[in-house]
Amino acid sequence: MLQLIVKRLVYGFLILNIITVFLFVLIRLIPGDPVRVQLADAAVSQERIDELTAQLGLDRPLWAQLGSWYAGAVRGDFGESFSTGRPVASIIIERLPLTIELTVLAMAVAVTLGIVVGTVSAVRRNSWLDNVLRVGSVIGLSIPNFWLGLLLITFTSIVLRWVPPLSYQGPLENLGQNLAQMLLPAAALGVVLSASIARLTRSSMLEVLGSDFIRTLRAKGASETVVLFQHGLRNSLIPVLTYIGIQIGGLLGGTVILEQIFALPGLGRTVFEAVSSRDYPLLQVCVLLYGAIFIFVNIVVDVSYGWINPRMRRAD
Amino acid sequence: MSDRFPETGGAGLGTVVPARDESVVDAERLPGEGRWDEMRRFAKTQPVGVASLLVIVAFVVLAVAAPLVAPFDPVAQDRTAFLVGPSGKHVLGTDDLGRDILSRIIHGSRISLYVGAATIAVSMVIGTLIGIGAGYIGGAADGVLQGIIDAVLSIPPLVLALFVAALLGPSIRNVILALSILEIPRFARIARGEMQRVRSEDFVDAAVALGASKVRVMLRHGLPNILPSLIIVASLGFGIVIVAEAALSFLGIGTPPPNPSWGLMLSQGTTYFQTAPWLVVFPGLAISLAVLAFNLFGDALRDFLDPKLVK
Repeated sequence: MLQLIVKRLVYGFLILNIITVFLFVLIRLIPGDPVRVQLADAAVSQERIDELTAQLGLDRPLWAQLGSWYAGAVRGDFGESFSTGRPVASIIIERLPLTIELTVLAMAVAVTLGIVVGTVSAVRRNSWLDNVLRVGSVIGLSIPNFWLGLLLITFTSIVLRWVPPLSYQGPLENLGQNLAQMLLPAAALGVVLSASIARLTRSSMLEVLGSDFIRTLRAKGASETVVLFQHGLRNSLIPVLTYIGIQIGGLLGGTVILEQIFALPGLGRTVFEAVSSRDYPLLQVCVLLYGAIFIFVNIVVDVSYGWINPRMRRAD
Repeated sequence: MSDRFPETGGAGLGTVVPARDESVVDAERLPGEGRWDEMRRFAKTQPVGVASLLVIVAFVVLAVAAPLVAPFDPVAQDRTAFLVGPSGKHVLGTDDLGRDILSRIIHGSRISLYVGAATIAVSMVIGTLIGIGAGYIGGAADGVLQGIIDAVLSIPPLVLALFVAALLGPSIRNVILALSILEIPRFARIARGEMQRVRSEDFVDAAVALGASKVRVMLRHGLPNILPSLIIVASLGFGIVIVAEAALSFLGIGTPPPNPSWGLMLSQGTTYFQTAPWLVVFPGLAISLAVLAFNLFGDALRDFLDPKLVK
């Protein structure tokens, strides 16, 4: 088990380094000098441009820039934001918790709703309820999450005459208001993701319920609750878990746009601002961080297989 | 994490399309079946697939014939009709500049389908070539490629698209470039896995024994056998690309105004959602319908082409 974790961590670290180099090369490959673009509007002298270029190290060869970035990174210094001049690390520490909270809430909605709907569908197979839920799931996975977010806020404001409070409050300052602000974006992200989780849970559950050991359980007189939940659902969860690991990327991407719609100052909002102002030092670290979260979640998923299925604890 | 392509699918997740009939050209047909027979079998066994194909065809027709079909000019502003609700003259209402929503949605299908088709075509060709090469040759190059694919796929798609689109600046061509960078690894991954499977088949050994060159084995014997899987990825990828284009345009980094991109139309809706909800509802419906059609068609193709799933 420990070996598996270490192996995954090492590979994850390797992937993060590839992402770093990939982003570095991409930024410098693309035509258009970031400094010139940054200063495009203002009338600046060539001297000022040269000065800024030198200050940012953009006049040095690629490998040297990469080297000094790493030298800073190991000390926790990721450079300064172009547009605000603040250290990138402190901006991110300030903005990251909101995005994590939103992602966790959305995931909670998606997993709960998806597994409940999928299980009900499988247990009541081919009933009218199953058909309704299945059609709903197919439609659900074709709806863009940002559209659902827009529909939700349109509905609540016109029909319920309620809009989320505008000025952001952290969960520690004002939990009620914080949750009120998170409610709609988390629901939009979660409901869309739950559709595919429900589909997968249904097919996985049907496969498990059709297997021999379930028949044996019923034959020896196990109650339906034990059959369905302790054995059926538990064994159906492995593919669902893998899928959740893959889908975390879509969910994180969704936070960028939903934070924008609902005016939430999280990491997604930061990425968007960094993109708009071509704030490369900030942008690069944000993108890298998204990659790191994705990799981390997938390591957790891999490790949790062993928790769900003891047979997998010994797997390589 | 070996199988990422059924992004939207439930059934069949985690199954790799199994080794197929070994006749090289008509890999997925039943013995003695012609192309027309095969299509008839698809129509018979996959009614949902046929229906979704019809929806796709309808979108294509609308896109091609947009100037003829649309009741108004999609960019013409009408000062006498700002934010008019759905009515006889403007069936789906107008926006804040008095532009007809229905006409903009019809013209918008051009952008969505064009971006989708161009992105899928570019990434399918490049991704497949990379994947086939890596899968067949193997070794260190394959290891490096695997790392790069894992790295690119670890970045949330929208974040990567934003990053690339921001570097390039907003234009339709750049959206296609940005989205291709997302889609190439997806195709490369499937092509690589499938090519590794095909490489160990007897007919490949036979071709090599008969003196076929590496390139010939890859393209003449490998490619036709992995094509069905690639077509499924393409159909599901179409849906992903349409949503991604809408998302980028929504954020103002994709298709530039005044082009009637569906995502751009939704972003106008954010300003007027309380007074003009039709601005939010209809473009989103268009996106969802198009994505639904491509998803269902991809699912039907998978059920049809993957014999392991036939129940």
